[in-house]
Amino acid sequence: MDSILYKEEKMAIEGVEIVKAAAFIGAGLAMGLGAIGPGVGEGMVAAKACEAIGRNPKEAGLLTRTMLVGQAVSESTGIYSLVIALLLLFVV
Amino acid sequence: MGELGKLHQLIIPFWGYNITLNLEVMVMTWIVFMVLIILGLFASRKREILPRPIQTLGELIVSMLYGLTEDALGKKLANTYGPLVCALFMFLLLSNWLGIIPHLEEPTKDLNTTLGLGVMGFIIAHYAGIKSKGFKAYISEYFQPIFFMMPLNLIGELAKIVSISFRLFGNIMGGSIIILVVSYLTYSVALPPFLYAFFGLFVGTIQAFVFTMLTIVYISVQVK
Amino acid sequence: MNVDVQTVVEVAAYVGGGLAMGFGAVGAAIGEGYTAARANLAISRNPDISGDIFKNMLVGQAVAESASIFALVIAILLLFVDVPVPSVLKAAALLAAGLSMGFGAIGSGVGSGYPGGEACFGIAKQPQIASQLTTNMLIGSAVCQTPAIFSMVVALMLMFIDFGAAPLQPTWAAYLGAGLSMGLAAIGSGYGGGLAAGASCEGISRQPKTAASVTTIMLVGQAVSQTPSIFGLLVSFILMFKSFPESTALSAAMALLAAGICMGFGGIGPGIGNGMAAEGAVRWVARNVEHAGDLMRIMLVGQAVSQSTAIYAMVVSLVLIFVV
Repeated sequence: MDSILYKEEKMAIEGVEIVKAAAFIGAGLAMGLGAIGPGVGEGMVAAKACEAIGRNPKEAGLLTRTMLVGQAVSESTGIYSLVIALLLLFVV
Repeated sequence: MGELGKLHQLIIPFWGYNITLNLEVMVMTWIVFMVLIILGLFASRKREILPRPIQTLGELIVSMLYGLTEDALGKKLANTYGPLVCALFMFLLLSNWLGIIPHLEEPTKDLNTTLGLGVMGFIIAHYAGIKSKGFKAYISEYFQPIFFMMPLNLIGELAKIVSISFRLFGNIMGGSIIILVVSYLTYSVALPPFLYAFFGLFVGTIQAFVFTMLTIVYISVQVK
Repeated sequence: MNVDVQTVVEVAAYVGGGLAMGFGAVGAAIGEGYTAARANLAISRNPDISGDIFKNMLVGQAVAESASIFALVIAILLLFVDVPVPSVLKAAALLAAGLSMGFGAIGSGVGSGYPGGEACFGIAKQPQIASQLTTNMLIGSAVCQTPAIFSMVVALMLMFIDFGAAPLQPTWAAYLGAGLSMGLAAIGSGYGGGLAAGASCEGISRQPKTAASVTTIMLVGQAVSQTPSIFGLLVSFILMFKSFPESTALSAAMALLAAGICMGFGGIGPGIGNGMAAEGAVRWVARNVEHAGDLMRIMLVGQAVSQSTAIYAMVVSLVLIFVV
């Protein structure tokens, strides 16, 4: 007897499909969880940059540049996640 | 509960595509326009040295908004963009408050209104940027800090439109849905007026202010 | 196992209701606890005005409670909703509604605790501006509740909109994805908005004259911090309202679920980060109000870069929905 989930059509659960499905879930998890770290880290950088400019407004240009460079380096793991996610979606 | 999705729409077929006009939203928008035009006419008609209440109200609002614009843009540009800011804020404020009157609903409840205002703000900001910096400097900004960040910068700019419009839409529509559901649950006893005060007046004011302030800030970021 | 559709729908509704209330209770409790802790410190510092501080604490806790009240409303609706046309699709939608509201209330609840606590402490330091601090606390907390409001909207839509003839596969995954996308993304934004509001109350208590600038930059900073939750809302809407062609392939369903997971988790970090940036800016505007313009600019630049991972997550989500 079929239960409700299999009433109309069985889900096509073959090997290839499971691999593809797993690849999609992997891509989602990779980008999703991978966005947490850089988000928090870059936010901390921005917060301290605001404090620094608040303490010393004359150096605003130098402080902004330092902040951007620091954030770009923090971004690197986020970009790694993006690359893995795109690889999982399109290449695997 | 079925009223959640019902809209009166006027669908005009136009060379294979359908132009859909949401009639309720347009009527509400025109009501807001009427009120604003009448208020504006009354407030500026006969300017006396000892002003009457409506003129005082108008002066208060205009001076406050011009002050905000000057803080962000500097005196010269504030004269150019001040009227836009005032119009935007007054329109949004009255639109968000319109829901309190029975049988009327807020035009900002429709994504078309907020998205239209967001796109308008975006176009104005970028036009101001191009005009003040020149086309080359404007384009080269997209390639900072590294050359291949261009698509990401571009998507970031588009994301600004999405965020500013959806924030207003989500807040106003969410407020009206919450009022609807809670009124249904409590049989419209006791609680709904406080909800109207909170979601309609309070949140409406704050969101109108935030939308206006963000538009000013986007213009100032492009112009600097 | 031979289960009929009505049972599946009821199971999903009850599990969803449990999740909604369970997770929804976490945030507000933590936030209100923080408020009470700071209020105690404040009273110990200045026992004479304990009455004012106590009143302020209760008001602040009431606003922090509102996120949980939204969750309670959704949970009650889920327990007693009457589904005229039961289907497994509706079951997925009800479960997703519970997830959306449950997760969405966490961030706003914790976040709203910060302005309440800082306002209480500020009253102890500067009793004469108590009403100004209360006003600022209310404004900050109210804006901080916005992600929870978005979550509630998505939950209500999932419960009450009749999705009609959508095919079961893969749309069940689309609804679960919609709920996760909105719910998880709201955590970060709620928490971040609360950080900014707390800093504004602290700043005003230090320098009452700068109240207008501080409130302005707090509102702008909070508005930008909410952007990840707005991306989550957008992806939720797309997942709910786009019609997907029927496909029994597991990969199609998992792609949609993955889109929701991606945007959901992806909104947490940038939301918190943007909130920290806003907190830093607000705190220093209070100390250095002449350079408020510079501080606002660097806050926006920093927040824009910090949001880029949220944008990546949204791009990957949209790719999963539209391209795959």
